[in-house]
Amino acid sequence: MGGKVTCTLGEVKNRADLIVYWGGNPAECHPRHFTKYTLTQKGKFVPKGRKDRTMILVDIRETPSAKAADIFLQVRPSKDFEVLTTLRALIKGQRVSAETVAETGLTLEQLQDFAERMKKARFGVLFFGMGLSMTRGKHMNSAALLSLAAELNAFTKFVAMPMRGHGNVTGGDVVMRWTTGYPFGVNLSRGYPRFNPGEFSTVDLLLRGDNDAALILGADPGATMPQPAIDHLARIPTIVLDPKVTHTSRLARVHITTAATGISAPGTVYRMDEIPLPLRPALKSPYPTDEDVVRRIYKAVAKKPAWFPGTK
Amino acid sequence: MELSITKNATCTFCGCVCDDIELHADGERIVETKRACILGEAWFKNHTAERLYPDALIDGQPATLDDAVEAAAEYLYNAHLPLVYGLSNVTCEAQREAVALAELIGGVVDSHTSL
Repeated sequence: MGGKVTCTLGEVKNRADLIVYWGGNPAECHPRHFTKYTLTQKGKFVPKGRKDRTMILVDIRETPSAKAADIFLQVRPSKDFEVLTTLRALIKGQRVSAETVAETGLTLEQLQDFAERMKKARFGVLFFGMGLSMTRGKHMNSAALLSLAAELNAFTKFVAMPMRGHGNVTGGDVVMRWTTGYPFGVNLSRGYPRFNPGEFSTVDLLLRGDNDAALILGADPGATMPQPAIDHLARIPTIVLDPKVTHTSRLARVHITTAATGISAPGTVYRMDEIPLPLRPALKSPYPTDEDVVRRIYKAVAKKPAWFPGTK
Repeated sequence: MELSITKNATCTFCGCVCDDIELHADGERIVETKRACILGEAWFKNHTAERLYPDALIDGQPATLDDAVEAAAEYLYNAHLPLVYGLSNVTCEAQREAVALAELIGGVVDSHTSL
């Protein structure tokens, strides 16, 4: 994970006395995060549970998660990077002008208090959501937050963790890392892996019209992607594996129904802190699993004459 | 019908991957989801073991699994730069197979992470 300073949710539960959520709304998107891992659990070094912990929420609007927070900091939209950079300056004791801070929607006093609380924490954790990583600044925002967490370790123990969305998106990163060396957007067209987000990431590829076929599994881009990307998926032969006939299935040439992961398909799934967990399916599906179908497609392709880079 | 009980079941709806859920199922559908949150309950109850859809569709028409696998292989084999995308709501085992397939067809493999 590129030197990310992080830990498991078990460590958060047992040690964290300062919990910061940035650009995320766990109360609605990860409803058991507070009660199972972070806020309310009694831990080995936080024996009084919620009373031993402070929670700070940073977001652009007051979501239901704000009710759970001790301090809510409302940042002006797309000013997260500025707030993070100011915090990095403040923890190092550098001078910051109050007028510059005012542009972020917060006051210098609020940020000084935030910086002091982070430095004084025994074990702090920064959880960041898509409100940070998918808005203006994108990966630079995540980088600034990860740097803040790393730099706070000059004063105390501090970690950062992304609030991952869909079930096994973390597993996707992990599997691609150990198979190709890169976490996502890996181009294997030269016979070896190449990684370049912006060039080999799906939306960019589809917007440029680079792909001439697509296999979609465990996702429904027809419902989530920008319209021009969806239009390109409809133009090319698209193959969808899904337990249901989805938006994407309707524009695809081939749809194959598969068993639902974790409900009728067994296997392994990674939690957001990169802990692998086994699935215990409760039902038996009449359909094959995604794993089976992909393996069958692999075998069907492997029967055809071998392909070498540069020969097509 | 007697309910089957699955203890410590794992919910894959969100990144929390709670693994302490108790599921009661009647063979075709899950009827109770102890300890699951509102999102997890909807997730478990929304998927049944019923045969609601055809095994496969080719150009919108019901088809057999064998024919669909052949058609998929043909399209992917003939493409210059095929894309393998998604990988969010599938197991690591399926993701591993998908990466292997992407290598075989000389394509790009990508997940929700890049969105």
